[in-house]
Amino acid sequence: MLNEKPSLKSSAIALLYLLPMLVISITFHIYPIISSFAMSLYTKYDFYTDKVGGLGFDNFVYLWNDPDFHLAVKNTLIFVIAVVPITVILSLVIALLLNQIKFLSGFFRTIYFLPFVTSTIAIAMVWNWIYHSDYGLMNYFLGWFGIHPIHWLTDPNYSLLALIIMSIWKNLGFNIILFLVGINNIDDGYYKAAEIDGANAFQRFWNVTLPLLSPITFLVSINGVIGSFKVFDEIFALFQGTPGPGKADLTIVYYLYQKFYTEYKYPVAAASGVVLFFLILLVTLVQLWYSRKHVHY
Amino acid sequence: MIQKMKKNCLGKVLLGALTVSLVALLTACGAGNSNSSTSDKSSGDGKVTTISFWHGMTGPYQKALNEIISDFNKSQSQYKVVGTAQGNYTTLQQKIMAAAKSKSLPVIAQTTYTTVPDYSKQGFIEPLDAYMIDGSNKLTSADLKDIYPAFLNSSKYEGKYYSIPMSKSTRIMYYNKTLMDKLGVKMPTSWEDIQKIGQQIKSKGVAAVGFDKSFDMEFEGLARQAGNPLVSPKSFKVNVDSKKSLEAANLIMDMVNDGTAKTAGEDIYGDKNFTSGKTLFYAGSSAGITHMKQGAPKDLEWGTMPLPSYKSEKATELAGNDIVMFKSATADQKKAAWAFMKYLMSKPVTAKWAELTGYVPLRKSALEDQSFQDYLKKDPTAKAAVDSLPFGFQSTAFVGFSEYRNDLLTAVDAMLTKHESTRKALGTLQNQTETIIKSNQ
Repeated sequence: MLNEKPSLKSSAIALLYLLPMLVISITFHIYPIISSFAMSLYTKYDFYTDKVGGLGFDNFVYLWNDPDFHLAVKNTLIFVIAVVPITVILSLVIALLLNQIKFLSGFFRTIYFLPFVTSTIAIAMVWNWIYHSDYGLMNYFLGWFGIHPIHWLTDPNYSLLALIIMSIWKNLGFNIILFLVGINNIDDGYYKAAEIDGANAFQRFWNVTLPLLSPITFLVSINGVIGSFKVFDEIFALFQGTPGPGKADLTIVYYLYQKFYTEYKYPVAAASGVVLFFLILLVTLVQLWYSRKHVHY
Repeated sequence: MIQKMKKNCLGKVLLGALTVSLVALLTACGAGNSNSSTSDKSSGDGKVTTISFWHGMTGPYQKALNEIISDFNKSQSQYKVVGTAQGNYTTLQQKIMAAAKSKSLPVIAQTTYTTVPDYSKQGFIEPLDAYMIDGSNKLTSADLKDIYPAFLNSSKYEGKYYSIPMSKSTRIMYYNKTLMDKLGVKMPTSWEDIQKIGQQIKSKGVAAVGFDKSFDMEFEGLARQAGNPLVSPKSFKVNVDSKKSLEAANLIMDMVNDGTAKTAGEDIYGDKNFTSGKTLFYAGSSAGITHMKQGAPKDLEWGTMPLPSYKSEKATELAGNDIVMFKSATADQKKAAWAFMKYLMSKPVTAKWAELTGYVPLRKSALEDQSFQDYLKKDPTAKAAVDSLPFGFQSTAFVGFSEYRNDLLTAVDAMLTKHESTRKALGTLQNQTETIIKSNQ
């Protein structure tokens, strides 16, 4: 079956199988992407009648000159740089620990996975309470170490950190599961061979586990980068429909949302989406290039 | 064998996905069709005209509205209103946007009066003058005099009526009677009194007045009391950083900075600070009374009063939603829609609506309504909002208002969280607002 030469008939059958997904992808992904690229170039545009007055780069010039957009890019980059590495390292550590204990590991796995299946709104409500400056758990714990109450949600200096902490916590569960799968897929023979060669626990981890986990690490980090660049609902829920105190949590997608839904500047919103697209593309390409050298399949 | 089964499964899943998407498509088309077909059938001769009404009422408010809609449908046999709750105001707004784009707007919808300039610029909404002022079913001049002028003013844009008021609330002042007695504080009548009380009770760890997370509405109220609206009607002159507006902002910010006033911050609404005794008074929405009743401890005696005066002037911002009629409806549907709008504004209905929801009645005469009087007697906390109506105002609406409001909230937030001076924050807002108004002319 697999060795059959592709014929017109077999190609047609293949196409038929692909058709449903293709229809869905084209209508809900490809077409919107193309139209938002086009919309980002519209200058005098009536959204409702689809009348385009002219084409040009005015919207990108607007973004270039808008201090809010600069802030959004800055906040997004800080968010990505903080969230992705910490999430990857933490979930790897937790996965390794979970792999060590057989007792109750299923229980812990469930606990860590819960945030992933819980709705963001519910999570944000709980964190809203955790972060409360008067009676929140966070300040209560910090109080044990003599740290004065922090206004997590109303102080512009801390609110991005608050968002980062919540997002890391929320992302852990899924990544832990991925790492656990990866760890379990490593053949025991490698460890035995390493042991015979006299490798200690750290050497076994550094020279066996880490290289053989690299495909999973790569997957987790690519996923994390893309997801973190697109952060929106966490902000919307944690700061109750505002981009944080003093716009401290304004990200690119939040900026896009504001331009589209409250300021009715549709082409500007589309242009910020295009910028986001290329930012993600650039970072992903860098990651791919890096993976060529360092990921072992 | 297993291979085959797997393939079968996959096939079924794909088939399932395809069916689901097809069904979704078909129902979407079906919904569109049913909309237009009802309008075709509805030409006179005893047939019923059905109109769709999108609203943002949830929970008890939705229940009350459904009751009023069903009252209307039973009161006559020509028209039938079908109400659809679209979630909260934000999602309602987004759905109207999507429906306008896909040309499937309802006949009428709830919206804030501040979106009227935008909608009218896009040509979505129908001026109501032909039904309201002229026409066979118009409002009489007695009706027009009976409806509170602030509501009529905010319904008007560029000389035409575009909306009717519906779910309206006012800003009022809550007071903690228990704590006032304990601290020996007398009932204040002016902001000047409140400033004095603030100094008096500061040492006892209680702030005089609490605000919501943002005090933009109290700021605009005080600016009007000081002598100017933030944006002048008609001329659209921006007075955001005028001397009078600065005076208003300083009054609030000085109190916040010296601890005699407290904003709600992460609590969003000031009722928590109020019920826990951190603030003696709370300037909030009359729509929050229901919440206050649930949240206040049993041993706390509290009440409501209209917002205090400033420089012997009174003002309170009216908030809430209006109803607009979309141009895309047929002539029959528009006639039916107006009949429903008029019904909503009629004396018994607006009184009933106010009783059921705690929103304010739209007409002065509704106060004479016996059952409404009984309701006020039974629930005296509802009286402050009604008493505030004669000096109620609504902001000046203009194209780009929602962008301006974003900037206003940002400015207030900058004063509170980034400790920007009032002059700087309002100066920025002044420039932003002037740009918005200029670029949309």
